Amino acid sequence: MTSRRLAMVSAGISVPSSTRLLADRLTAATVSALRERGVDTEVDVIELRDHGHTMVDNVLTGFPGRALRTALDAVTGADGLIAVTPIFSASYNGLFKLFFDVLEPESLAGKPTLIAATGGTGRHSLALEHAVRPLFAYLRGMVVPTSVFAAPEDWGGGDRATQALDQRIARAAGELADLVVARPTQQAADPFLEPTPFEQLLNGS
Amino acid sequence: MQLGIFSVGDVTPDPTNGRTPTEAERIKAMVAIAVKAEEVGLDVFATGEHHNPPFVPSSPTTMLGFIAARTERLQLSTATTLITTNDPVKIAEDYAMLQHLADGRVDLMMGRGNTGPVYPWFGQDIRNGIALAVENYALLRRLWREDVVDWQGKLRTPLQSFTSTPRPLDGVPPFVWHASIRSAEIAEQAAFYGDGFFHNNIFWNKEHVQRMVELYRRRFEHYGHGAADQAIVGLGGQVFMRKNSQDAVREFRPYFDNAPVYGHGPSLEEFTDLTALTVGSPQQVIEKTLSFREMAGDYQRQLFLMDHAGLPLKTVLEQLDILGEEVVPVLRREFAALKPAHVPEAPTHASLLEAAGADEEEVAA
Repeated sequence: MTSRRLAMVSAGISVPSSTRLLADRLTAATVSALRERGVDTEVDVIELRDHGHTMVDNVLTGFPGRALRTALDAVTGADGLIAVTPIFSASYNGLFKLFFDVLEPESLAGKPTLIAATGGTGRHSLALEHAVRPLFAYLRGMVVPTSVFAAPEDWGGGDRATQALDQRIARAAGELADLVVARPTQQAADPFLEPTPFEQLLNGS
Repeated sequence: MQLGIFSVGDVTPDPTNGRTPTEAERIKAMVAIAVKAEEVGLDVFATGEHHNPPFVPSSPTTMLGFIAARTERLQLSTATTLITTNDPVKIAEDYAMLQHLADGRVDLMMGRGNTGPVYPWFGQDIRNGIALAVENYALLRRLWREDVVDWQGKLRTPLQSFTSTPRPLDGVPPFVWHASIRSAEIAEQAAFYGDGFFHNNIFWNKEHVQRMVELYRRRFEHYGHGAADQAIVGLGGQVFMRKNSQDAVREFRPYFDNAPVYGHGPSLEEFTDLTALTVGSPQQVIEKTLSFREMAGDYQRQLFLMDHAGLPLKTVLEQLDILGEEVVPVLRREFAALKPAHVPEAPTHASLLEAAGADEEEVAA
């Protein structure tokens, strides 16, 4: 069996949070979809709440503290990303944006990514399409077509609602697994190990 | 080991009383600080270069020329010279002139600058930052080393039959350091030429500083300038001292908390843990500074940032007294005792002149 690394980023605020609950469901479904495709998965879980202060510090000083560095490296080195945010004021919340602001540019280029969100009512669901998806388009992540939104009624609105959520989760996880399997294992390029030779810089490339 | 100070030249309100020095006061304070540095036995004074408020040092050679006239042995340097937005022709001329006036007590530290609008203000494009640093410096080297230069590049008007004047003192260009906080390309550039590499060490975590220095050392050896441990490394540092470390923390905290760059971010304690900042007793400063050697290997130049964030001149001069009396003598002794014989000192005009003479004899023989 080959293996891959997934990073799960949750920007939920409360403890426990429905955002984390959704993130866990998506992660479990993706791990299971990957297993069906013959791939073992290791998962790094990143709760952004734990890095709240240090993300602000990073924005102000330009460099991450140690624990945040570890979290950023986990995302950069992952073969796939599951990013889940609560919807605040028609968009991702501040914690979520801070994290992707301090991540090195290019870190998500081509990275298979599943986006998902939670919100107080189903009326927020398109925030995934008009706010979260464009953010990852800018970062050049490879975002799967199915995004997953969970409103309160999805957690207990009777069989039809829960089935619909289950189906969306399974479909999104399957799409993410297909992309992850199709790409070779990620090895983040390290400019400090292999710098561009100076002759090349002199020649303007 | 060269021990000295570097100044950003910021005009910042003193957070303890709200008082902001005038530009005139700040400029004269920088001079007083440089003169004091020589008086207390430090080796180097380096000034920043900035082209926007709240910074005063836009014209480094004017300031360093003035300081040269008031000092005898202080090495005059920059932190940094903007190799991206200055015309390399003007850098060649200004610093050769300064070399003559200062009897060779001059070196430069090249940097790209970190203020975005400076590029367009000087007719450049920030997206060319690395390319400008590479091309401009390649031209600068030729201007100092060849009497007549024909040159064509991509980012500046071509030159035909150009002679930069005055020629470098004794035909020996000033030693150059290249400074970068995070760009591997600049460490590579320093290594390629066998120039010095400086890491400011105060705005970035030490694990990262270590990687940058390691890269520079490895590539210095790769390009045939000597063994990795013979590469020329400089580091920044930032200290505030009182006899009693709690007093130092209490007095410095408002300056730290409101400082440009990192103010209102991490706590003083967190920043001390992550970076080179030391706020405490002279003994703590000695220990932390010696630990840089464990991080970066035997190195040649240590510059401290002493005069920023609104600290009053009187306090800065007191700090320099403590540095000169209690820290520098111990650091000199300890660094000298630890340094293996094959690790060179930082190049100076005298050592470069001697090396040039030796090269000529070799050619003649």
